[in-house]
Amino acid sequence: MRESVAAAASAVTALVGDRASGWDLAGRLPEDVVRELGAAGRLAAQIPARHGGAGWSSAESGEFTAHVGSLCGSLRSVMTSQGMAAWTVERLGDPAQAAELLPRLAAGGTAAVAFSEPQAGSDLSAIATTVTVEGDGVLLSGRKKWVTAAAYADVLLVVARMGEDGAVVVVPRSAPGVEVRRVADPLGCRAAGHADVRFDGVRLPLDSLLGGGRQPLPLLVTTALAYGRISVAWGCVGILRACVTAAAEHARTRRQFGRPLAEHQLVARQLADLWTAEQIATRACEYASRCWDENAPDVATAVVLAKYVGAGHAAKGAAAAVRVLASAGARDGHVVARAYRDAQLMRIIEGSDEMCQLILADQALGRR
Amino acid sequence: MTTSSDRPVPDHVGDPGAVETDLLRFLGKRTGRIWTADADVFGSGGLSSLFAMELVVHLERTYGIAVRGSDLRMDNFRTARRMAALVGRLRGAAGDGAGA
Ligand SMILES: Cc1cc2nc3c(=O)[nH]c(=O)nc-3n(C[C@H](O)[C@H](O)[C@H](O)COP(=O)(O)OP(=O)(O)OC[C@H]3O[C@@H](n4cnc5c(N)ncnc54)[C@H](O)[C@@H]3O)c2cc1C
Repeated sequence: MRESVAAAASAVTALVGDRASGWDLAGRLPEDVVRELGAAGRLAAQIPARHGGAGWSSAESGEFTAHVGSLCGSLRSVMTSQGMAAWTVERLGDPAQAAELLPRLAAGGTAAVAFSEPQAGSDLSAIATTVTVEGDGVLLSGRKKWVTAAAYADVLLVVARMGEDGAVVVVPRSAPGVEVRRVADPLGCRAAGHADVRFDGVRLPLDSLLGGGRQPLPLLVTTALAYGRISVAWGCVGILRACVTAAAEHARTRRQFGRPLAEHQLVARQLADLWTAEQIATRACEYASRCWDENAPDVATAVVLAKYVGAGHAAKGAAAAVRVLASAGARDGHVVARAYRDAQLMRIIEGSDEMCQLILADQALGRR
Repeated sequence: MTTSSDRPVPDHVGDPGAVETDLLRFLGKRTGRIWTADADVFGSGGLSSLFAMELVVHLERTYGIAVRGSDLRMDNFRTARRMAALVGRLRGAAGDGAGA
C-alpha cells in the first residue's frame, strides 16, 4: 500500500471511530463526515491528479475501499456512488465536462448515479426516463429508485433514453422539478442515503448531457457499472475482514466447556471458512484491479467476477460470523449484524447474483 | 483504467487497412466467428454490451488513444471499418490531450 493510502486509512479510522453502529441504527451519516472525506478527495480517490484528484490506481483505491467497508458499509456505499459518478464523467464526458466536474467531485462535492426505475431493475433496457433537446436546453422526465447516496448528493447522474440511444444527464439536486425521497428503513447499508427520485419536466442547459448524449444505452450502463461493481466487490472484502476480526477475537476470548471457542473444532472450521472467503474475495478483487490498472480488455468480465465472488462470499462469511458470535453479535448495529444485512444487499446491486451468473455463463460458453 | 498513450504503439497504426485487419483478427479471436469489414458487429445477433466495453478498451490499449465522450457513439463501433476510421481520426488528434 502506498504511504498516502495507509495515511488515508488511519485518518478514516479516526474519523469513523466507534460511530458506525450508531449511524446504522439512526439510518443517517452525519453530513460533515461525508463532506470531510469528500474534501480530502477520498470519496473518489481514482480521480486523476490533473483533475485535482488523488490519482490512485484501482488497486490502491480498492484497498482503501475495503478498509472503509470494514468500518462502515454505508460510508463505503457513498464512496461507491461518488467514484462511479466520477468515472462516468471521465469516460462519457467531453474534456471540458471532465475539467469542470471532476475537480468538484475531488474537493467535497457529492454525486450519485441513477439507473434503476420502477419498471427497470435487472432489465435496464426498460429505462423509461427520457431526455429531449428543447431549444437551447434539455428536458428530463422520469422516476428513479433506490439511488444510493442521493440523499447526500449535490448532483445526480441520471441515465435516460435519448431517442433510439441513451444519455447520462448531470442534474443538480436543487434543480426545479427534482424531488428526492429517502427509502425508509433499508435492510442494510442503512445510512447510505438511498432515495427514490422524481424528475418532473426538469429543464437544464445543453451541456448537462455527458459527451452530448446519444451514446448506446448498454454501453453507458456497462461502463458506469464497471466502477460500481469493482467498488462493491472491494466493499465485500471489507465486510469479510470485519467479520474475520470480530469472529477471531470472540473465538479467542469467549470460553465455553472449559476452553476458548476457537478450540472447539466446529467453531474453528467456521473461522477457517471465513478466512478462506476473505482470501478468495481479495484475490478476485486484486485480479480485477490489475485488469483495470493495465486497461486489459477483459476488465468488464473481471469486475463482474469479482463482484459475484465478493458478494457471495461476504454473505456466507457474515453468516458464519453471526454463528460464532451468537448472542454477542445478535443486535442491530453490531458489526457482524451489519455485515449480515449489508452482504445480502451486495448480492442485489450492480447486477444481482443471477444477472452475474448469466454474464459468467456466457463467458463459459465463449459467447460475447 | 488509465489511457495508454505512453504505451509503445505498433508502427503500422497510421494505416487504416492494417487497423482494420488487426480488428478483424481481434474480433475473430474473441468471438470465434469470422467477420467482414462491413459486418454489423452490434446488430441483431451481434455482440453484448460487455463486449462493447472490451472493444473500447482494446482500441485504447492497442492504439494509444482515448475513446471518450462523444466518440462513444454507436456509429463509430458499428463495423470494423468504422472502428478503424475512428482510430485513424483519434490518432490524428492525439497529442492535443483530448480526453486522455
Ligand atoms: C442497497 C441498494 C443500493 C442500490 N443503489 C442503486 C443506485 O445507486 N442506483 C441505481 O440506479 N439503483 C440502485 N439500486 C437498485 C438496484 O440496481 C436494483 O435493485 C437491482 O438492479 C435489481 O433490480 P430489482 O430490485 O428491480 O429486482 P428485479 O429485477 O425485479 O429482480 C428480482 C429477482 O429476479 C431475478 N431476475 C430478474 N431477471 C432475471 C433473469 N433474467 N434471470 C434470472 N433471474 C432474474 C433477480 O436476480 C432478482 O433476484 C440499489 C439497490 C439496493 C438494494
